[in-house]
Order: sequence, then structure tokens, then C-alpha cells
Amino acid sequence: MEARLISHPWTEMRRLQREMERLFGDVTPSWRWPLTGDYPPVNITRREEGLVIDAVCPGADRDSLEVTAIGDSVTIRGQRRSEPDLGEAQYHRRERPQGPFTRTLSLGDRLDPDRTQATYSNGMLDLRVARAAETAPKKIPIQS
Amino acid sequence: MATDTTTTTPAAPTREERDRATRTVAPRVDICELEKTYVLLADMPGVAQDGLDVITERDTLIIKGRVQRPEETPDYQEFELADYRRTFTITEDLDVSGISATLKDGVLRIDIPKSPRLQPKKIPVQTK
Repeated sequence: MEARLISHPWTEMRRLQREMERLFGDVTPSWRWPLTGDYPPVNITRREEGLVIDAVCPGADRDSLEVTAIGDSVTIRGQRRSEPDLGEAQYHRRERPQGPFTRTLSLGDRLDPDRTQATYSNGMLDLRVARAAETAPKKIPIQS
Repeated sequence: MATDTTTTTPAAPTREERDRATRTVAPRVDICELEKTYVLLADMPGVAQDGLDVITERDTLIIKGRVQRPEETPDYQEFELADYRRTFTITEDLDVSGISATLKDGVLRIDIPKSPRLQPKKIPVQTK
């Protein structure tokens, strides 16, 4: 799993960038990134029963938040919208990104979408992804 | 003979050292103005209601959030949760006594009414 995620050159660039930020003492939270590229940022923990994916996406519109699992991939979709009563407000400072986001993670293991759970609280999306039951090895007959 | 004046007493921790021990990040904010209020929105993912502090102190507004860190280290890590802290200066055109704060889905919203003193007033003109 780690090898696949890190081997991609852009992912590796991001990782190096994060390391540099850490070295220079600025704990730059990953959710400061714009909503393009690798958003939402994730942490992945491997457990016996499957994988736990924590994603940081504060203020996501709950109706737009969607998680799909297919094959070995999980896709997180959502949208950050401005507050309904602030449509005509005059902004003095605007640091929080708005708009839609999509991220697909290839996890390397076949997943079981029926046993995948997602919860969203305090702006954190918590996914419990179950691995698919091991398929029995198949013997391939050799034709002469 | 020159005496060695080098002190051997360990120096008290500097301010920087103390700050590093309790390292915080500044949350991203939006600040906007409506007709009668100012609204501040701050992204504070990972903070629950009981971990949040909104403090006003004279002309200062401080927002603080404590996050719950996971017990186990992830196998693959892109973010690290840290406590939040950010300070704002409140100008005199705001009525701090009417402040209200709500937390929803990791976003803190603070509404501060504009001071009634600064609301436009019509002065009646008396005739003689």
C-alpha cells in the first residue's frame, strides 16, 4: 500500500514538501492546501480487518459528501460552500477555500464495499474499509 | 586573576522554548461583514465542542481549540493534527457583549454585532 502511494512522482514531491515544512518548524496543516490535487489529505492505518482512512475536510456540505469504493480504490467527493446567509456579505479576509473536491486513493488491496463504513464528525471523515475475502487460488490447466 | 563569571545555573526556558512545547497552528479564517454584524469563520477540524475556547479580553479576541490526537501512528501520513490558536484585535466598532459562537463540522462561526454607538443616527432638527 505505502509503496504504491509513495512511488508516484507527484505524491513523492508532496511528501518532500511536507518534510521541508516540518524541518523549518512551520507545522503547516495539510488542509491549508487548495481544494485541487490531493484534497482532502489523508492518514491511513492498516488493521487486521481492513484499513482506516482519516481525511480532513472541515465544513463539507453533508449532502454533497460521497464515498464510493470499487476494486482497490476509494473515492471521496464533496463540496465546501459558503454559509447561506453570507451570500451578499462583504469579505475583509478570505483564507478558506471553497468549491468541489474529489480524491481517489488506490489502496492496493481488493475492497469489500458492502462492509465499508464512513462517519463524518468535527470536520473529519473516518472511513473503515474492509478488504475483500481472499479469493481461492485458481489452478490453470496447461493445454498441450 | 580573571575570575570565571560563567554561570552554571540553567537558564529559564525562553519564551520560544515554551511556545514550542505547546505548539499550535493558526486556523484559516474568513472575516466578512453583514449589515449589522461581523462574521468570523475558522477551520478547526478535529476540535469537539468541549475542546473549544473563545475568549475576549479587552480589545482582543482569542480562539483556541484542542484536538484529539490518534493513539496509534498511521502507516501512511499526510497530515498531523495540532492545537489551534489565533488572536484578533477587536476594534471599537464592535459590541463584544453580544458575541455568539457555534461549531459545526469543524468550522467555528463567531457573530459579533456592530456597536450601536456607531449605527447611523438621525438627529432631529428643532425649529425656533
